[in-house]
Amino acid sequence: MSFFFGRTRARTNTVDLAKQAREHVTKLEGPQGAAKADELAKVLAQMKQVLQGTHEAEPNPEQIYQLVTGIIEEDLLYLLAVHLHRLPFESRKDTQVIFSYVFRFRPPTGPQKPEPFALAHVVERRPQVLVELCRGYDHKESATPAGTVLREVLKNEAAAAVILYDDGEEQGSSYRGVGGINPDRPQSGRGVFWSFFDWIDKSSFEVSADAFTTFRELITKHKELVPRYLAANFDLFFDRYNSVLVQSNSYVTKRQSIKLLGEILLDRANYNIMTAYVDRGEHLKIVMNLLRDDRKMVQYEGFHVFKVFVANPHKSVPVQKILIMNRDKLLLFLSHFLEDRTEDEQFIDEREFLIKQIRNLPPAPVPPQR
Amino acid sequence: MDGEGVASRYQVLEELGRGSFGVVYKGIDKATGETVAIKHIDLESSEDDIQEIQQEISVLSTCASSYVTQYKASFLRGHKLWIVMEYLGGGSCLDLLKSGVFNEVQIAIICRELLFGLEYLHSEGKIHRDIKAANVLLSETGKVKLADFGVAAQLTYMKSQRNTFVGTPFWMAPEVIQQAGYDFKADIWSLGISAIELAMGEPPHASLHPMKVLFHIPKNPPPRLEGKFSKEFKDFVTQCLVKDPDLRPTAKELLKHRFIRSAGKVEALQELIQRKRNADARADQLKHPVYYQETLHTISPKDEADEWVFDTVKSIVPRRGTVRSRKPSSVFPVEDAMRKLDLKDGPLQPNTPGTVRKATGRRQPSTASRRSSRQNSIRRHVSNGSPRPSLGPKRPLQPDMSFGNSGSTMRLFRRVPSDGFNSGLLGSSPPEFANENHAPPAYHSPVEPNSKEAMLGRRLYNKALEPCLDELHAQTAASSKRDALARLSDAFAYLDAVDPEGAYHLLRNLVSTISQDTKLNNTFLPQQHQPSTKSNNNDNSEPSSKPPNDGTTQGTVLIKGSRPSTATTLACTPPTSTSSSPTKLILSQENPHLMSHHRRRGSMLPQPVSLDGRGSPDKDRERDRDRAEKDREREKMAALEAKFPGRPAVPGMEHCKALSDLLYARWTDGLRARWAVLAGA
Repeated sequence: MSFFFGRTRARTNTVDLAKQAREHVTKLEGPQGAAKADELAKVLAQMKQVLQGTHEAEPNPEQIYQLVTGIIEEDLLYLLAVHLHRLPFESRKDTQVIFSYVFRFRPPTGPQKPEPFALAHVVERRPQVLVELCRGYDHKESATPAGTVLREVLKNEAAAAVILYDDGEEQGSSYRGVGGINPDRPQSGRGVFWSFFDWIDKSSFEVSADAFTTFRELITKHKELVPRYLAANFDLFFDRYNSVLVQSNSYVTKRQSIKLLGEILLDRANYNIMTAYVDRGEHLKIVMNLLRDDRKMVQYEGFHVFKVFVANPHKSVPVQKILIMNRDKLLLFLSHFLEDRTEDEQFIDEREFLIKQIRNLPPAPVPPQR
Repeated sequence: MDGEGVASRYQVLEELGRGSFGVVYKGIDKATGETVAIKHIDLESSEDDIQEIQQEISVLSTCASSYVTQYKASFLRGHKLWIVMEYLGGGSCLDLLKSGVFNEVQIAIICRELLFGLEYLHSEGKIHRDIKAANVLLSETGKVKLADFGVAAQLTYMKSQRNTFVGTPFWMAPEVIQQAGYDFKADIWSLGISAIELAMGEPPHASLHPMKVLFHIPKNPPPRLEGKFSKEFKDFVTQCLVKDPDLRPTAKELLKHRFIRSAGKVEALQELIQRKRNADARADQLKHPVYYQETLHTISPKDEADEWVFDTVKSIVPRRGTVRSRKPSSVFPVEDAMRKLDLKDGPLQPNTPGTVRKATGRRQPSTASRRSSRQNSIRRHVSNGSPRPSLGPKRPLQPDMSFGNSGSTMRLFRRVPSDGFNSGLLGSSPPEFANENHAPPAYHSPVEPNSKEAMLGRRLYNKALEPCLDELHAQTAASSKRDALARLSDAFAYLDAVDPEGAYHLLRNLVSTISQDTKLNNTFLPQQHQPSTKSNNNDNSEPSSKPPNDGTTQGTVLIKGSRPSTATTLACTPPTSTSSSPTKLILSQENPHLMSHHRRRGSMLPQPVSLDGRGSPDKDRERDRDRAEKDREREKMAALEAKFPGRPAVPGMEHCKALSDLLYARWTDGLRARWAVLAGA
């Protein structure tokens, strides 16, 4: 309850708040952890109040500037991200608010960068803050606050790049800041981005769902960054995607990831990714099996991926082979596919279109001409 | 993540009601002995982005206030999401209103508690957006808590505003309707309307069509509290209902209002709860608790016999003999569907206040729900264009095609994963299955049951075996387990098609064998009286009788327990269901804002069943003809079903599962031999 703290007290302490928080947070694991957690909670609540203001008082830009500078100097963002899951319930929420405000803060005067002040510092000098926020998905306590902050921050392309290109201390990793990134070097698959697959597949429902939402943001938001990334890491990405997410035992993960796959493929920015994807017979097999899943919504989402293969005017030989080999079965199957969707005109049209396409396939595969 | 382990922590008891997108059950946390409310959401019947449900969970899970219903856990079981919440035994204020309006003293207490709740939410950057009596719950001791965060918003920044058009029309603030950007103050307006609702029994403009209200609220002066109420109360309402949100006071400010400051203790609200109980007792409303039963969709074997052929290597999947389920599939002529229908169909019980369960069906108003039409929440998210399920346009009733179009034939089985990644698993299917499933001829016209045993057997299959198997299947995540269950289900479908009498004998003997073993008997066959009492009223086999406390005529209600439109469902649907079906108005139909969403949304709703036989006189006649016979049959079935495992009060899963395992073993043992003999073994 932030308004319980007198405004005057908060005002006098603004400069010291970051320092105090640092002292407490580093001792959370020590023998006095519980006591430190309480003290930290108070400090964080005060910080939140400074940043957010109260219903009665508008926030004071100068105070905020001091606080943000202090937070950066004390490297508090990193410490809070690391220790987020150890904080008490209310403090985790306060921390989330603090992150959101700090990352959004722009100093009222001075030269303006495209990135807000603190965010610029993080992507250029302290990318580990973002990596640690992602690791919030290791714990169910920190998943929601970390995820909320991440989704906010990831709207910024540089921040998204830091997460995508994190690859330990490898050359071209974002380890030394966004400037060090080599976007065309294939990833080792050990960077923090690749952990999302496991967080989504193996965590409890709440964590998994939150991680998936962040993952979706990460790979749909930035129309230049992501296609380039996917092109450089095509096999690694789709192997993981198909084996971990699409084949997940979790109904939600499976359904959502098939849907997202359809979205990725149908995004104009991903045109090259899409054509490479639908050339592979292996990919077609996976999606044809989805059509036969016993859950209608899985079938339905699968259909929206399948249609991309069939509608492709330049089908590869392996793809044609599979379609031709299964022509009769597909025609029979599609004629009854999800037939209770009698009012989904778009679906019905697309289904008809696919039937026609399959019926008109040549008797034997013809190499595509582009 | 496997929800099985977490789920077993809870014992699910009777149905409490239906919330915004699921059925709510009472349950017990076995670890702590604490009573909880468990909401089951069938995600398979939800076309929405699952993200929206996650949104509700994330708002709830970040609340820690004694004025907000406490969230405990959520997990997946198959395609059902379970949300575990604090249990509040007093019911909703809307429930309590059914036994009379509240007096000023009570309203003042409720408003104060709600203001505390709103003060908390607003300080957390949350807007509830659907404050109304139906969403205010009372504990046994009179504590007041905000519930249903289905449309709540979380703001990242205090100054943010929202534009999303969401809420329930009668309670919506003018600025929300106008979509000109709104904030926390919208909740204050809704609180004022709710206060009027508590005092008068319904919100202002209740007689108007909800669509009309949407034009009315922004255009006209704010409603006022009229009548014999104190000056303080009237002023409180006036304060809440200031049209300009900037001039409307905050929750914190309203807590200082004289009407609120003089409010008494929450314990005084126990009176309301007691009054409701007395009223219920006087009305001699026999409560028939609806126990949790793992029911759900049909699993119908798929039509196509073959898996896809990839490469030149033939799929090693055992060729499936096409076993037709008893469900009429689209390839059946309609008459055929009808004919089979009345075989299975129990007579309709005209006075059964049962709820309608059908695929993505909206809950039909029960007879008491005079107000249901206008209480449907609008859940439309302008921002992403994805309407909430409650907006789904209601379809006209279509008596015949719905059978052919029911989900049943579409629920194709995933036989064996045969894609590139998992092809190694293919060999794992037991060889005897390949043989067994080879054997049946391509298509059996189902045997018409001609003996009492056969009819019971068929009924047993339709009402008990199949739903149980379906449920189990739906809740099983691992594909190998799913496959095993699917096979069992196929086997039963085949047995039912060929020899329904065999199914009868199998179960009969099984039950009697079980009853001879004390341990098994205690585990599987407790509470034998339970279903037989229900049988008087509710065809004894449907879990969907009227929930005990019917706060469910609320707009935000809909049924997610999507059951396909099989004859089984039909048999139990009350004929009252279409009485002007006011839920229809749910605005979506005519709301111009929504037109763009119609197509996608509408298309996703499975065809509704003819619920009352209206428009299908043939069916009625046939039903009548069978009625007498069915009655006899039902009595007998009642005795049998009473013993059937997985029945009420048994902590569902484990037992169903145990039974399935048992039956599965028998199937693999000898099966296609003489069933009667086998079952007797």
